[in-house]
Order: sequence, then C-alpha cells, then structure tokens
Amino acid sequence: MSLLLLYALLLKASVTSFSGVGALPQIRQDLVVTYRVMSDDDLSRAVLFGRSSPGPVGLYIVSVGYAVRGVPGAIVGWLALASPAFLGIPMLALVRRWLHLSRLRSALDAVIIASATLLVPSGILLMRDAVAQLALFVAGS
Amino acid sequence: MRDAAPLTPSKPPLGTLAWLVTRDANKTIGSGMASIELLRRTLEKRGWLDDLEHGTLFAVSRFTPGTNVLAYLAALGWSYHRIVGAAVAVIGGSLPGSVIVTILTAAAASVDRWRSVRVALTVATLVAGGLVLANAWSLVRPYVRGARVGWTLTSVALAAALYFSGATPVRVLLVLAIWGMLTPPRTAS
Repeated sequence: MSLLLLYALLLKASVTSFSGVGALPQIRQDLVVTYRVMSDDDLSRAVLFGRSSPGPVGLYIVSVGYAVRGVPGAIVGWLALASPAFLGIPMLALVRRWLHLSRLRSALDAVIIASATLLVPSGILLMRDAVAQLALFVAGS
Repeated sequence: MRDAAPLTPSKPPLGTLAWLVTRDANKTIGSGMASIELLRRTLEKRGWLDDLEHGTLFAVSRFTPGTNVLAYLAALGWSYHRIVGAAVAVIGGSLPGSVIVTILTAAAASVDRWRSVRVALTVATLVAGGLVLANAWSLVRPYVRGARVGWTLTSVALAAALYFSGATPVRVLLVLAIWGMLTPPRTAS
C-alpha cells in the first residue's frame, strides 16, 4: 500500500469521526477487510498501545500506520491524526466574530453545557473500569 | 473579518506555550480530556485563560472532526500565536505520544505483561477519569454561578436525556445548539 493511499484512508477515518476511537470501524473496514494490510490482532494491539501511551487516545492511528508501513507509515498516521485539528480554526474565528449576537452566544453556551454533560458518563466509565480492574488485582494477589 | 483576539488580556510566549502543552498534554494516560484539564489549570493559574474562553475553545473542538484534544490544542495555540501557535500546540500535544506508540509497536511489546505495569496503567486511568469529571465541572461552573441557573439545568437535563436515549454526541450538540439559539437570554431594555 502506498503512503499516499494510507494517508488518504487514515485521514478519511479521522475526519469522519468526532472522537479518539470513533475512527476505528472505518479503519478496520479499509485496512483489515478491504485492503487486508493488517489483521484484527494488529488493530487490537494498536488500540492497546494508544491507550497505554500519554496523550490523546487517538494516537492508536500512529500504531496502525506503523503496522502497515513501518516508520514512514507511523509518520503518515501522525499526519492523518493531526491535520483535521486545524479545521476548527476557521470555526473559532467565525464564532468569535459573531459572539456578540445573543442567540449565537446562547447557542455556544448550550453546546458548552452539553459538552460538559457528555463528559460525565466518559469520566464515570473510565473510573468504573479502573476500580473494577483494581479489585481484580487485589482479589488476585 | 474582525480580528479574533483571545478573551484574556495576556498570552504565553511561544516557547512557554510549547513547553506547557508538551508537558501537560502528555502527562495523562487513558483520556486526552484529562490532559486538557491539566492544561486549563496551568493556563488559568497564570492568567492566560479563563473558564469562558476555555468553554469556547472546548465547544469548537467538539464540533471539529477528528481528535477533540488536538482540535482544542490547535484552537488554543491559534488564539495566542495564530498558525504557528496552532502548529506548535498540536505537535507538542501529539508528537511525544506518537513516538512512544511507535516504539511500543516496533518492539511489539506487550505492555500488560508485567503486573506492576498493569496496576500503574489502571491507577493512571482512574486519575484520568477524575480529571475528566473535573473538566466537566470547570465547563459548567460559570453557568451554575451565573444568572441563568434554571436554563443551565434544563440544558443539562436535555443533553442527558438525548444522550441516554441513544443520540450520538454530535446530534446532542447540534440539538443543544438549536435549543440555545431559540432561548437567548432576555436583555434588559
């Protein structure tokens, strides 16, 4: 698989998702099922490495890139992960330009509150999984 | 287009921003949102960010495709130093972790082979969960203390109801954006 195609596929998966692991189904479909350049085991290991490293969970895309094309693939994976981040800048400029409008300010406030609400289940799930895992460690020792 | 200046009066020098982002964004394991909370605390303590500005950046990052954390860092860096700041923040927030992930993959290391490593990762995940909850509170705090407490609680209830009825996060955010647009605060005449 060429680096350009790998970048295009990883970028497609990254751009069409709105969270770290949201791109996983698309990556599996393209790289495991369609092009068969990696296995489900490789993909699972990539997710594990992504979760075990500091920084965003989405870093598993770098591991996916490495599994497909080595170090150049990892660089391509990093580029595919990082490039969509800049899409928010024009949006931020527009939001700030029109922020004095009360309806836009109110819409933004509602989105901020919704974002906070959506974080709560994620935080609780993380803590619940960790506590369950710690309980297993204690029971096993 | 009007210049989109940051809402806070001062900003960190580029080198300081690069250092703080690299340090805080790579301090947690298991959730990038926890990294954002650490960075928010650092920047707010130094007077370079406030809760409302943090909320604006966070809301925009939630609507940006891809990894939310990197979108937040790009928006944050851009607010201070335009495109150079955005690039520095995204690189600082993703490159160290990418190198570690690559090394792990290259070594085909099984990070859960050792019990002590597994315990350490689990504790790190527990801490990350707590930081995610702290981030949620920092986002909603200005509204709970503001004049629209009833509206805030209604918004929380609406978002929670949509989420638990199976709506995707993006749909929840879109519905709440429409809700907010339809219910602006009453202005004193």
